[in-house]
Amino acid sequence: MKVVEINDVHKIYHDTEVEVRAINGVTLSFEKGEFTVIVGPSGSGKTTLLNLIGGLDQPTNGEILVAGHRLSELRPSELIDFRMEHVGFVFQSYNLIPVLTASENVGFIMSLQKWPKEKRIARTNELLGSVGLSDRGNSRPSQLSGGQQQRVAVARALATRPEFILADEPTANLDSKSAEALLDIMEKLNRDEEMTFIFSTHDAKVMKRARRIITLEDGKVVSDETRTEN
Amino acid sequence: MITEIAWKNIWRNKSRSLIVITAVTIGVFAGIFSMAAINSSVQQRLDAAVHEELSHIQVNNKDFRSSGDIQDTIQGADSLMTLIEKTKGVKAATGRIILMGIASTSAKSEGVEIIGVDPVKEQQIFTLPEKLVPGTGSYFKSETKYNMAYMGETLARDLNIIRFILTGDALAKLRNEKVPELVITRLQSLKDQRFISEKAFAKAFEVLLSPSQNKKYGLKIKEAAWSFREGSKVILSFLDVNNVQTSAVFRITGIFRTNNDMFESVSLFVPGEELRRLTGLREGTYHRIIVELNSDDLTGEVTSKLRESMPGLEVLSWKEIQPDLALMADFMEQIYGIFMAIILAALAFGIVNTMLMAVLERTREIGMLAAIGMNRRKIFTMIMLESVFLSLVGGVSGMAVSLAAIAATAKHGINLVKYSEGMEAFGYSAHLYPSVDIKFFLITAVLIVITGIISSVYPARKALKLNPVEAIRGE
Ligand SMILES: Nc1ncnc2c1ncn2[C@@H]1O[C@H](COP(=O)(O)OP(=O)(O)OP(=O)(O)O)[C@@H](O)[C@H]1O
Ligand SMILES: [Mg+2]
Repeated sequence: MKVVEINDVHKIYHDTEVEVRAINGVTLSFEKGEFTVIVGPSGSGKTTLLNLIGGLDQPTNGEILVAGHRLSELRPSELIDFRMEHVGFVFQSYNLIPVLTASENVGFIMSLQKWPKEKRIARTNELLGSVGLSDRGNSRPSQLSGGQQQRVAVARALATRPEFILADEPTANLDSKSAEALLDIMEKLNRDEEMTFIFSTHDAKVMKRARRIITLEDGKVVSDETRTEN
Repeated sequence: MITEIAWKNIWRNKSRSLIVITAVTIGVFAGIFSMAAINSSVQQRLDAAVHEELSHIQVNNKDFRSSGDIQDTIQGADSLMTLIEKTKGVKAATGRIILMGIASTSAKSEGVEIIGVDPVKEQQIFTLPEKLVPGTGSYFKSETKYNMAYMGETLARDLNIIRFILTGDALAKLRNEKVPELVITRLQSLKDQRFISEKAFAKAFEVLLSPSQNKKYGLKIKEAAWSFREGSKVILSFLDVNNVQTSAVFRITGIFRTNNDMFESVSLFVPGEELRRLTGLREGTYHRIIVELNSDDLTGEVTSKLRESMPGLEVLSWKEIQPDLALMADFMEQIYGIFMAIILAALAFGIVNTMLMAVLERTREIGMLAAIGMNRRKIFTMIMLESVFLSLVGGVSGMAVSLAAIAATAKHGINLVKYSEGMEAFGYSAHLYPSVDIKFFLITAVLIVITGIISSVYPARKALKLNPVEAIRGE
């Protein structure tokens, strides 16, 4: 089942003196349960592509379909609700609400979706367990390490079972040990919850863990390989 | 959830929030407390006007107020009073005889309004009998064969009935009140000397003392030397029913002290029966019926009811007799509203500034919230609640401080007597007992919330303008 379809998408930035073709004719699709990494040199358009898929930005040209929604047809306010319902985000940093505890951060989107309290607490505990932070539920983000914060962010992104999780360089600020731990968790959740992960990276070690590697250069897809072993 | 986040957010930068909260606290305190003080002054004035001078409603012969003629009496006043007392909301009614006349002593004469009253009835209606200066006699209680008169301190002074004498007792009293021996020694030279006016007395002792001693003890010295001989005589002259000039000697039964010099200087009370005998007015005739109600709130209603049932007479509420007082009462709330609005507008700038800093500091975080699906309304609400909480915390603490200050000063009052001459001439007490209606607190709370909401609009709009993509990307 396809969760995302991208059809000849272009994103051109005009707001500098020269126009920048950040995404220049990309056609791709993603299946449910994928564990895909997007790689490419700096400035190749990875962040831009993820933002377009996640409905954070609109393409200049082309079509993006997510879970039956044609994103270009959504009004800005609908786009926000679309993100809340269908997309999980993990950013490089500043993922969490500093005044809330880890548990409350994990529960945040469930609250926005008005889940009943018991259900929310149960799901939060389950997820904190699967990211290995059962005992840190009451800690504030500032009391957690960078790796732990990213794990809380993954748990939050996953909580309401979105169509997929987008993670833009989730390990960029982590040491290699924490990065490996985060990837272990993402892999496990990909397996156990059949959650689709699409993430970008610069890190060769991270790349090796993916089952599909899409390489961008100058806003174009230059290779798209799926590994069958593993 | 949003509420909880907003509440926690205001404590992220504790010192900054505390500065704003303190500013709001001080502003609200200043507003409420000064209002409470002014309110008490106005309230005291209104109480005095109603309970010492006017009563709630007055019924007059139609022509009496303009003519002042002794013949313009109310027909059938006795049965009217019975009728009035049966009207719902009326506590008591009594009749008065009112004559324009002259009061004289061997030293001076003053024009006065001689009011003939029923002392028993008056005591049920007015608090004036309780305003008797202790030690000056009583309110028509002494058993004598003389005509008695109850007069205000100002009139007594004007007629030189009040003297200033530093007797041995007076000096002992000063000693008791901790006036230094040095000052008392200096005053010895004035001992037992009699002064017929306060001015002359002040002049005499002021040269003996240093300016600071005068300032500190002047009032106490005057108070101690204040003296009055019970049974002092005053001659009252007026026209009788046949327009014949009549005079009679009255003795002073007591002297009262109010905050209203004007009222004190023209009003003189005597038993109605005496006046009747001296003027030849028939039994049961009065110029004015005064009506006391169970509550001031009934004034308008009962006034129009009485007016309807007594078409031939002039029925006036205290608000109509002294419209300036009524206006004052009505304006209080508006003045307060304007006052608070000015204070809160100033505070709003502080809140806007603080919230703007808070929003700009949290660009990435707000961008992240928008990215993961917190909609515009929720973001706006969050910023607005932060601003409301800031102003509410300050407002509540300001109200608490005000309450404490009011409670602390309400019992003994704030004494402005030193600066009071101007105030008392117009009937406003110089001794303030701050008090506020609970309504003022509610209005204040509402104004504070409104301030919080208004102050949040600009910062919240700034937050909404943030583009989540750029906020997240931004290095
Ligand atoms: N708001 C913008 N305005 C103008 N140009 C932009 C904007 N955002 C991105 N770009 C440009 O678009 C191109 C793609 O940027 P993008 O951030 O997607 O690259 P990236 O692959 O994520 O790079 P990195 O690996 O450094 O994160 C770059 O040339 C960048 O300068
Ligand atoms: Mg990038």
